[in-house]
Amino acid sequence: MAVVKVDKLARSVAEGPSLMTGSIPTKDWMDVPAVFKPGNYAYPTKPEKLRYLDSQKGLSFPNAREWNPEDDDWKLPENWKEIILKGLADRLDRFRSLKIFMDCCVRCGACADKCHFFLGTGDPKNMPVLRAELLRSVYRQEFTRAGKILGKLAGGREMTVGVLKEWFMYAYQCTECRRCSVFCPYGIDTAEITMMLRELLHLVGIGINWAMEPASNSNRTGNHMGLTPQAFKGNVEFLCDDIETLTGIRVNPTFNRKGAEILFVTPSADVFAEPGIFTCMGYLLLFEAIGLDYTWSTYASEGGNFGLFTNTELMKKLNGKIYAEAKRLGVKWILGGECGHMWRVLHQYMDTMNGPTDFMDIPRSPITGTIFENARSTKMVHISEFTADLIKHGKIKLDKSRNAHVKATFHDSCNPARAMGLLDEPRYILDNVVENWVEMPENTIREKTFCCGSGTALNTDEIMEIRMRSGLPRANAVKHVHEKHGVNTLGCVCAIDRATLTSLMNYWVPDVQVAGLSELVGNALVIEGEQRQELTEGLRTLV
Amino acid sequence: MELIETLSNKKKEILSLWIERTLDSYAAPGFFKSSKDPFANPVGVNIASGLANLLELLLRKEELQAYRKPLDQVVRIRAVQDFSPSQAMAPFLELKWVVKQVLSGDKKMQPLLGMLDTLDCEIDRMALMAFDIFSECREQLYRNRIRELKSGSAILTDAVCPSAMMREEMKGISKNT
Repeated sequence: MAVVKVDKLARSVAEGPSLMTGSIPTKDWMDVPAVFKPGNYAYPTKPEKLRYLDSQKGLSFPNAREWNPEDDDWKLPENWKEIILKGLADRLDRFRSLKIFMDCCVRCGACADKCHFFLGTGDPKNMPVLRAELLRSVYRQEFTRAGKILGKLAGGREMTVGVLKEWFMYAYQCTECRRCSVFCPYGIDTAEITMMLRELLHLVGIGINWAMEPASNSNRTGNHMGLTPQAFKGNVEFLCDDIETLTGIRVNPTFNRKGAEILFVTPSADVFAEPGIFTCMGYLLLFEAIGLDYTWSTYASEGGNFGLFTNTELMKKLNGKIYAEAKRLGVKWILGGECGHMWRVLHQYMDTMNGPTDFMDIPRSPITGTIFENARSTKMVHISEFTADLIKHGKIKLDKSRNAHVKATFHDSCNPARAMGLLDEPRYILDNVVENWVEMPENTIREKTFCCGSGTALNTDEIMEIRMRSGLPRANAVKHVHEKHGVNTLGCVCAIDRATLTSLMNYWVPDVQVAGLSELVGNALVIEGEQRQELTEGLRTLV
Repeated sequence: MELIETLSNKKKEILSLWIERTLDSYAAPGFFKSSKDPFANPVGVNIASGLANLLELLLRKEELQAYRKPLDQVVRIRAVQDFSPSQAMAPFLELKWVVKQVLSGDKKMQPLLGMLDTLDCEIDRMALMAFDIFSECREQLYRNRIRELKSGSAILTDAVCPSAMMREEMKGISKNT
């Protein structure tokens, strides 16, 4: 582990300029301004989306306007500085964690070389320690005695428009994946610092559309895509038709059914976009195979929660609908699909924000009788935990040869791995559904997994280059197992992964496809009465 | 002394300076230069290994096609980083300067400086191939963007609110009646 001082890190620059490039990065990091140009920023929020969210009860998203990051003038409200500092004071008061994170970093540098954004760019401000320093320097200047007296000497700096622009640049070059936190001896959760930076920016109307429009859609229709209940139901039924064509099994899921034992919630991308739909077909087949008494909700029709990338109040509101639906439908517990950050919200925030629930049971698998003690408080179980338990008790029949076309590796999606400790269940499932799979190198999996580079609403196409470079550490490890072991499938348990790793693979390792784990389960599943076609590519086979 | 033989003897020195100059194009290259773990440091290790292979090929006077893989290893990374196209390509041409720098540091070798034309030519050909790969990478980026747009994920930000549409329709109806 590198132990280095942050100043040295930031100044470890060339002795002289590169002859050809002329790059002379000799300035102190504080003096290098953020420069916005096409490709290095995500588009700002559309004013009408922000106004809509601002009009909602319990939410505040003021200062909606047209603005362009490339312009000098961001049309900030006149008293923007006062708003930001007041907002920071308020958050320091409300969130003890923030106050601790501001004070306790000793700048050991352990996190510096662990961030995929730094590893892909070499930009010192992408070292988690420096990214946090963007906020910490203002905190020191304004909220500590040393900073107030000594200013820059004490690592403080004034809050200026330049600093605000820097916040926007780097708060959106962090996917809140929390890999850096694994290495921090003080356990500083740098993702929470990014969350605070984004919250503060929202106070002055600065945010990105790819976060705010899905959040606004989710608030309005229940899912990121803005699918109406009819469209949502229609899409799932369309997948049922496909399943019937492929396997001869007719699946008849129910929607908004009161009295069902279990409510199933998954990212809406699973019912809509490739390759997520194949994962969804896997869920549908599995539930059919075991005769599960469950229902979909067309209102809580989104597992994802872009509020996590936006602000606390919005996260709470979007999350609340899951419990509200569980209550309305009278289910006993909730089963969650393959989503990434949904599980962070559930495990780390839901209970405090909207729980603890008193109207549901401790989840118990109706098939195996297993009681999921780990979900005693939240009442929500991960599909991989549920499936692994079914396999362990021999309740489903699996034929690995149906995945003969697959040579897999497994990408631990950041949030299930680091925020809920889901490490072994997916591997156990893989052991049972594919003949062949290999691990990627040790420092790129499990708790140390590398992010896809496109989380936290950075999965938008206008920043494709940023996504490709920040995804390099992940792709590099996939490339290794592809070249060494002939891996052709990257398994994962996250909807953003399924969408964005596909683009990442197209760029770095084009022969590798991306598949949700439940898709591989669906491929291998043997169901009584099936009339399965020759499915050489599993559920993806075109017949 | 034969030029290639001399360069082979100085290979280590040339390579080390070449890698150093290339990695110096990053704002904080300390870690890229120091970590040898290919998974912890993909940029540094891939670039170093790509350049090492390229130098080897140049000294062995290999066929141009052999350069593709190591070039791709370096170019694919630089094509998505915050460089202008010329900055991204610069390291390949900079090898000329690196070689001259190393040779001119040793009096015995200075006479060889006049014999570098052929090598310079080879380096130019390598750089041109790098440019082809750079363009392929950029095209791949745009194809990725188009694929994502077509795949329907764009609906995330272009969703139409049905109730708003109904309101619009109702307005239209009431205007016409």
